[in-house]
Amino acid sequence: MPVLNVSGATVSYGGRAVVRGVDLAVEPGEAVALMGANGSGKSTLIKAVAGLVPLAGGSIELFGTPQKRFRAWKRIGYVPQRTGAASGVPSTAAEVVSQGRLAHRLLGMPPKRADRDAVTRSLAEVGLADHAHCSVDTLSGGQQQRVLIARALATDPELLIMDEPTVGVDAETQAALATVVADRIDAGCAVLLVTHELGPLTDRLDRAVVLADGKVVHDGAPPRPVGEHADPHHEHAHPHANGDAADEAIWGGK
Amino acid sequence: MNVETVLGYFEYEFMQRALISALVVGLCAPAVGVFLVQKRLALIGDGLGHIALTGVAIGFLTGAAPMWTTLAVTVAASIVMEILRSHSKTSGDVALAMMFYGGIAGGVYLTGIASDKGVANLQQYLFGSLLTAGWDEVWTIAIGGTVVAALMLVLRPWLAAICADEQYARVSGLPVAALNLLLLITTAVTVSVSMRAVGLLLVSALLVIPVVTVQQFTRSFKATMFAAMAAGLLIAGTGVLFSAAKDVPPGSTIVLIGVAVFVATAVIAAIVHRVRRVRRAHLPPEGEPLEVELPAAKA
Repeated sequence: MPVLNVSGATVSYGGRAVVRGVDLAVEPGEAVALMGANGSGKSTLIKAVAGLVPLAGGSIELFGTPQKRFRAWKRIGYVPQRTGAASGVPSTAAEVVSQGRLAHRLLGMPPKRADRDAVTRSLAEVGLADHAHCSVDTLSGGQQQRVLIARALATDPELLIMDEPTVGVDAETQAALATVVADRIDAGCAVLLVTHELGPLTDRLDRAVVLADGKVVHDGAPPRPVGEHADPHHEHAHPHANGDAADEAIWGGK
Repeated sequence: MNVETVLGYFEYEFMQRALISALVVGLCAPAVGVFLVQKRLALIGDGLGHIALTGVAIGFLTGAAPMWTTLAVTVAASIVMEILRSHSKTSGDVALAMMFYGGIAGGVYLTGIASDKGVANLQQYLFGSLLTAGWDEVWTIAIGGTVVAALMLVLRPWLAAICADEQYARVSGLPVAALNLLLLITTAVTVSVSMRAVGLLLVSALLVIPVVTVQQFTRSFKATMFAAMAAGLLIAGTGVLFSAAKDVPPGSTIVLIGVAVFVATAVIAAIVHRVRRVRRAHLPPEGEPLEVELPAAKA
C-alpha cells in the first residue's frame, strides 16, 4: 500500500487549472522528488497533498485513507517553504521544534518524556543542539530552515514532505541536511521532496516526478545533470532564490 | 506624593474594588494578548470592543443586563469573524475594519433609539468606571479572568502553534478551527466581562501593551507570556495608585503608564541591541563560499 497515492489530481485557482490530472504514488520507504520549473504546479500539488488547498478533481489517499477522512497527520512530517524571518512574539528553537510533538500530546497535557527526547534528538540531528534556547529570530536563514526540518523530524514521520527545503541555504548546510534525510530514508521513512534544483539532497533519491505546466512529463529515474550542470563545482545563480514568482502571483504575495 | 495618604485611599471599599478589578484585568488580558500579537490581530480587542457597544445598546433597548447581551453579541461576532477569515478571501484586516465601523455605528444607533428610555450611557462603557463598580462586578471579573488565564496557560503550546504558523498546525493535525474560535471567544469574554468596570480602552490596551513591551527582551514564547502577565499586573497596579493620588480616572492613567513604559523600553531595547550587535553571542552565519577565483596577490 503506497503511503501517498494521488490520482488525477486537479487544482485550480480562480478558474485556472494549475495542477492538471496528476498521478503520483509514493511507496513506503521510497524517496521521490517532485521537480519542475517555477510555475509548474509542484508547490501547489504539495499543498494539496498536505490538505492546504482543495482539490478541484481527482483524489488523494494518505496511508490508504482518503484525505478527507485522514486523521493520523502525526505520521506525516511537513516542512513548509520558509516564509522570511520569524517575527511577532519571540520563540526559541526548542519551542518551534516542540510544535512537531503537539499532535502526539493530549490537548492541555504537559509533554511526556518521549516528547522532550524527540525534540532534543531532532535538534541534535540538524546540528542545532547548542542553539535550542536561542530565539529563532537571531538564527541565520539556513539555521531557521534547519529548525523547520527538525520540527518535522520530531514527529517521527513515516512520510516526510519537504517544500523547497534548500532555497536560500548554503552548500554546507545542504550537505548536512542531505545526511540527516538519508538517515531517515535508511530508517524506512518515505520522502517527498519538492525542489527545482539538483543538489546533495537529490543524490539519495529513488525516483523523480517532473511537472511541466501542471502535468507529469517524467516519472522515473532522477534526472542527471547535463552539460555545465554536471560539473560538481557548478553553482547556480538563481534570480528567484527567494521565492517562486509564479507562486507569488497565485498566492497574492507572501 | 505621600505613601500613607495613598494607602489611606484603600480604606475605601470602592478603591479596593477598583484595584482588584484592574489587577485581575492586568494579569489576564496579556495572557490572551500574547496570542493575538503573535497572530497579528493586536487590534482585535478594540474591534470586538466596538462590536460590544452594539451589545450594550441592545441591553439598553431590551432591558436585559448589558453584560450578557454584550457577551452574546461579541461571541457571535467572533464566530462570524472567524468564518469570514477562514472561508473567504476577506483578510482579517478587512473583517476588523467592518467590525470597527459597524459595531460603533450600531451601538450609537441603537442607543439613540433607546435614549427615550433614559438609561443610555455608552461613554461609561468606552472608558469604564472602575470607581463605581460593585462587588458583583468585581467577582464576575475575577472569576472570568481566572477561567481565561487558566485556559490560556494550559493550552499555551497549542495556541502558540496555531498563531505562529497556521498552515503547519493544520498539516500536523491540530484542531486549528476549534482553537482559533476558542481564542476569539476568549478575547470576546475578556473584553465584555471587564468592559463595564475598566472600559474598552483599558482592556484592549492591556491585551497588547504588556506583550509588546516585554517581547523586546525575551527569547522564548513562554517567558514572554509570563513576563507580559507580570508587566500587566504592575502597570495596572501602578496606574490605580497613581490615579488615586492625583484624583484622575484610573483607566486612562493605566493606559498612559503602559504607553510610557513601552516607549521607554523600546528606547532601552534599541540601545541594548546596538551593544549586543557589537559583542554578539552567536557566531555570525557562515556565508556562501566565494564563487569567483580571487586573482593571486602580486608579490
